[in-house]
Amino acid sequence: MWSTLACALLLVAPSLCFAQADGNPFTGNPQEVAAGARAFAVSCAPCHGRTGEGTQGQAEGIKPPDLTRGVYKFGSRDGDLYHLISRGIPESGMPSFEQLGTAQIWRLIAYVRTLPQPRKPATGDAVAGEALFQGKGRCGQCHAVRSTGGGVGPNLSYDARLNDPQKIRRAIVAPDDEIAPGYTVVTIVTRDHQTLSGIARFFDDFSARVADSSGGERTYLRDEVISMQRDTHSLMPDNYGTVFSSAELDDLVAYVIKLRTEGRGQ
Amino acid sequence: MKKLACLAAVAAVAALAGDSVTFETLVKAQDDPASWLSYGKNYSGWRYSPLAQIDASNIAHLAPAWILATGARGGNETTPIVLDDMMYLTGPSNAAWAVDLLTGRKVWSYSKDAPLGLGLCCGQVNRGFAILGDRLFKVNIQSTLVALDRKSGKVLWETTVDDYKKGYSSTAAPLVVKDMVITGTAGAEWGIRGYVDAYDAATGKRWWRFYTVPGKGEPGAGTWGGDSYKNGGGSTWITGTYDPELNLIFWGIGNPGPDMDGDVRPGDNLYTCSLVALDADTGKLKWHFQFTPHDVHDWDAVADPVLMDLTVGGKKVRAVGQANRNGFYYLLDRTNGKLLTAKAYTKVNWADGIGPDGRPILIPNREPTEAGTLVCPGLGGGHNWEATAYSQRTGLYYFGSTDGCQIFTRSRQQFVEGLEYQAGDAEAPPKQVNSGSIIAVDPSTGQTKWRYEMIHRPAGLLATGGNLIFAGDTDGYLIALDAVTGKVIWHFQTGAEIKAPPISYSLRGTQYIAITAGPNLLAFKLQ
Repeated sequence: MWSTLACALLLVAPSLCFAQADGNPFTGNPQEVAAGARAFAVSCAPCHGRTGEGTQGQAEGIKPPDLTRGVYKFGSRDGDLYHLISRGIPESGMPSFEQLGTAQIWRLIAYVRTLPQPRKPATGDAVAGEALFQGKGRCGQCHAVRSTGGGVGPNLSYDARLNDPQKIRRAIVAPDDEIAPGYTVVTIVTRDHQTLSGIARFFDDFSARVADSSGGERTYLRDEVISMQRDTHSLMPDNYGTVFSSAELDDLVAYVIKLRTEGRGQ
Repeated sequence: MKKLACLAAVAAVAALAGDSVTFETLVKAQDDPASWLSYGKNYSGWRYSPLAQIDASNIAHLAPAWILATGARGGNETTPIVLDDMMYLTGPSNAAWAVDLLTGRKVWSYSKDAPLGLGLCCGQVNRGFAILGDRLFKVNIQSTLVALDRKSGKVLWETTVDDYKKGYSSTAAPLVVKDMVITGTAGAEWGIRGYVDAYDAATGKRWWRFYTVPGKGEPGAGTWGGDSYKNGGGSTWITGTYDPELNLIFWGIGNPGPDMDGDVRPGDNLYTCSLVALDADTGKLKWHFQFTPHDVHDWDAVADPVLMDLTVGGKKVRAVGQANRNGFYYLLDRTNGKLLTAKAYTKVNWADGIGPDGRPILIPNREPTEAGTLVCPGLGGGHNWEATAYSQRTGLYYFGSTDGCQIFTRSRQQFVEGLEYQAGDAEAPPKQVNSGSIIAVDPSTGQTKWRYEMIHRPAGLLATGGNLIFAGDTDGYLIALDAVTGKVIWHFQTGAEIKAPPISYSLRGTQYIAITAGPNLLAFKLQ
């Protein structure tokens, strides 16, 4: 019965039928991807956020995964995603979207697949960028690349989210605009009137554990200091817009994107 | 056969009427500090325990007596029931337990599988049991209401409230009134049409239903353009309160649907974002007060409607107060729904106050747009659903708040049955980090008496006769504040995010504080 049906489908809608066996019929089709984006805004964004990064969804108490990473807990093949979206994940807050129908789910997947892709190709020279990263910018003092470098800022290798040249450039020249999750800065004034700032490993009403720029860490109790406050500034220097020329920034961006792409195969 | 049925009916009535928890017990619940018999402690929803053993002088000695790891997955928002030497606790994902108060050991467990295909905004949460006679009542997430035998945990009856495939789900603790079990529904993000229901405690048969969105030809129907009422939302996901003398049930109503696109539902959209007073015997509407007409920011009015007898402007009034999600605290005359007081308790940029007619004085251009509109408070409020407390000792009303703004966006969306129907969302603006606070107000005036500012959000509250306020927070701390000054005088790291309110009870003459943190239940006493 199934083979008869499948053959009938093959006659009526050959591309769709073929695709269900081997992949998504809408992959790379701009119109269908755009339709998937609209469907995403309606059905997925309330929890996963408009960008799909999972950090700004409205559902309280639920931490939806970052869909822009291109790697998914329950399997990363198109078929895995289809199964997950159509059936939901019991007890996780992820409902079934079976009612959307086969075609719409494939459109959604086609769109989600575009999230980890570079928005625009990087125009700089990645080799020159690496030299700037380790040399003039001294970026490696704070950012690790693979297993080498400092631990104050985020490790820049293997990060699928580093896919948008404009966003990376903005993060370099205006680091205060968006601080990466997990890199909140806390400023503490101790009882001997020393002021120190660092990355908060945790920060709550009673305590904070702070990593300073040398990589040292210590826990402070609020009762034992004069003040303890969240800082809206990043620890990253805010003068890279003047340190680097525009062409050098392009090179740096190309290098950072290359790190991400290299990371996928490792 | 007939005789048998008759005997069974008599036995059922005797079981309801003859045991320790009767309707009278519930009416006088505040006189029994040892127990905790309903969601709000008493029918007025005070969450005030007169127990005074634990106070500022000895709180340094407050420590866990026992911890129960329930093993449940998901956030726990429950208020336990305490009777004699037992606690009856619901958990997420349809789980429930009876727990021995002396040792913290489980006595029985209840569970029921949840189906695939549920439409849930916020996980498989549950907020507690109700009790009458030897029966416990709870909802299951797939929109059913179940009665359990409190001695064994066995199912006595289970009634389907609605069709979960259409987006209906159930999360609130039921409210027992007389021989009825009152419950509501969740699902306003899924295009449902909400209601408040009353069921026979003995059989599970439905006695009445009040639709929170009127149908064609009914009073209030003119506040919905076209057929928009059919998917109008108005969910009822937090337990109401009850005034036995007025015989009125007070229940807060959720947002209209779709949340952010008001254009498809022109009008005030009654009775969404309203408080309704219902005749307990018939479910008929006695009065309503709409806090946010034609809401487009998802500001459910489900927060605890707390009954307080106060002096306002020199006159004694039977009042009902609510810290609304839209950023204003309201006090109404609960005999007729007339506005007595309205005052902002957090940053508000969408209204210039509340007019004498109870309607907000709107500031233009605060509706969600495709590009986004910055509105304060954000989508979650202000005060959301978390339990509030009214202390008889201080005369103050206490509640939590999220303070900040969000950018609201709107999209256009066709309704599809069983699918999310929100038509927009909200995000924090760049660099802004929302913080929380616990606020004490004079309930007559809405004047803030103190505000304890927090890095993250508080969960529900408890007031005690020891002049303390207990609260949990998202960082996992259980804290105690001086009820008069708002100063934090004790804290304990429980190890998991707290979403539930604390309760207090006594066993063998000792006062306890109990709370769920993540999947764990903790009971504290002076050591």
